[in-house]
Amino acid sequence: MSSNKILNLCKLLNNVSLRKNEPIVSCIFSRNISTTTRKFDLMEFFDDQKNWGANDVKVGRAWKKDEMRLKSNVDLHKLWYVLLKERNMLLTMEQEANEQVQLFPSPERLDKVEESMENLEAVIRERNKAYHELETGETGERPGKHVTSRLGLRYYYKMSEHVVPKHMNTKWQQKYQFYKYDRDVEAFLLKYNEKLYLTKKRKQRRDFNHVIGLLKRFPGMDMEALKQQYPDVDIEKAKHSRKCRGHFEP
Amino acid sequence: MRISNIFLSRIGKWSKRYSNLPDRYIQRAMEQVYWRNPKGIQYKPNAVVQKKKFNFGVQRPWSGQFKNENGPRDVPAKVFLEPIKEWSFFRGDRVEILVGKDKGKQGFVKQIFEERNWVIVEGLNCELKQIGQSKQRQFDGVWIQEEQPLLVTNEIALVDPSDLTSTSIEWRFTEEGERVRVSTRTGRIIPMPASNDETVDYKSKAVYKEQPKDTTSDAVTEVTYEPKLCTFEMDIMDKMGIKEDRIPLKTYWY
Repeated sequence: MSSNKILNLCKLLNNVSLRKNEPIVSCIFSRNISTTTRKFDLMEFFDDQKNWGANDVKVGRAWKKDEMRLKSNVDLHKLWYVLLKERNMLLTMEQEANEQVQLFPSPERLDKVEESMENLEAVIRERNKAYHELETGETGERPGKHVTSRLGLRYYYKMSEHVVPKHMNTKWQQKYQFYKYDRDVEAFLLKYNEKLYLTKKRKQRRDFNHVIGLLKRFPGMDMEALKQQYPDVDIEKAKHSRKCRGHFEP
Repeated sequence: MRISNIFLSRIGKWSKRYSNLPDRYIQRAMEQVYWRNPKGIQYKPNAVVQKKKFNFGVQRPWSGQFKNENGPRDVPAKVFLEPIKEWSFFRGDRVEILVGKDKGKQGFVKQIFEERNWVIVEGLNCELKQIGQSKQRQFDGVWIQEEQPLLVTNEIALVDPSDLTSTSIEWRFTEEGERVRVSTRTGRIIPMPASNDETVDYKSKAVYKEQPKDTTSDAVTEVTYEPKLCTFEMDIMDKMGIKEDRIPLKTYWY
């Protein structure tokens, strides 16, 4: 029995070795060979040894959206994994540096990679949106709507996909309860809106007083620039303020 | 607008130009978050308690010294900043100093602090400073000269390149539609200095030395996109030979 098994295994291995040189027919498209050095070991999670303990590592900038719009989907797909590997490497290096109480050189590299990844996702979303709008007249994005919560506050509700319809989903109904008339909520909203109103008023008064302070300190200031910076402040009124005048009798 | 973006908007474009750092990093390096609302259904879902008022001095907002100057309990003094319509002093500009012991001297702008209307002029308006003195070690310390910042509104003036005297300027358009600074006295254009484009990584974009992980400019500008009537996922599946013919269940979106 066992000798039979070994024989089968040998046959299988022979088959494999025979087929090795034959071209792959079943696959229509053969992917381009990756040009990055493949090490297939855990050291791929670490930076080049030259950069260990360096003061800074010089790198270029992040990919821009306009540059990514020139690239095919396949290229973007590959680029995503290049960026993902780089981000993994950087996060590993950061963690290692923290553990060893050492300096992580050029931490802005992480932001550059993440910015590129965000831009890449935005470009792909743009392409998918264009396709969906052309074919179905909808964006194909995750739907959502502005709703009022039980506390009477407006927020954007992101919808999600469910297997059962709404009226059967009691768990969802318990979790997501939207606004319906409630005396206590109305009382809360009255106070909440008052708070918002007072914050706004305080900001206006603060700005007004700041403009008075500016007018007092810089009488020859560029008024247009002041108007540009504080569009809500009545500058003529501020000029007539008692606090704006110097220490003299008019 | 998020609170953190409000800080970032205060750091001027020209202040951070030389450092060549992404905005995202500057924001991350600068923010001091003390508490964040936990995830889940909350009355205020994204509430964050963090430092909002900073003292902008000569330290760069992303540096450790800035963090030391702006500790959690430090309350910055109120600063009255004269509003300026447009920033007109750039790195490498020849300027004349109008106040102080170096009054009348000309020098070149070295650093810009837009959030305080300041510039530092190279080698001028210095103050002597004693550092490292210690009674314990019986060491008097070292005296160094440190450049002090100058206000752009009334403490410096740009220099007209035609007669090398100070002048007020005006922003105007050339025939080609380019915005330039023009001397109001002689009408001569004050050119933008070359060192304005300089960053900590390169003198100018043309002489940038490519680093091992950089994508070459040829590879970046190469157009490989061809429009196709399919989504990204459909295209990738097609290219990789993945066939998907399962019919998904009926689902409900709400």
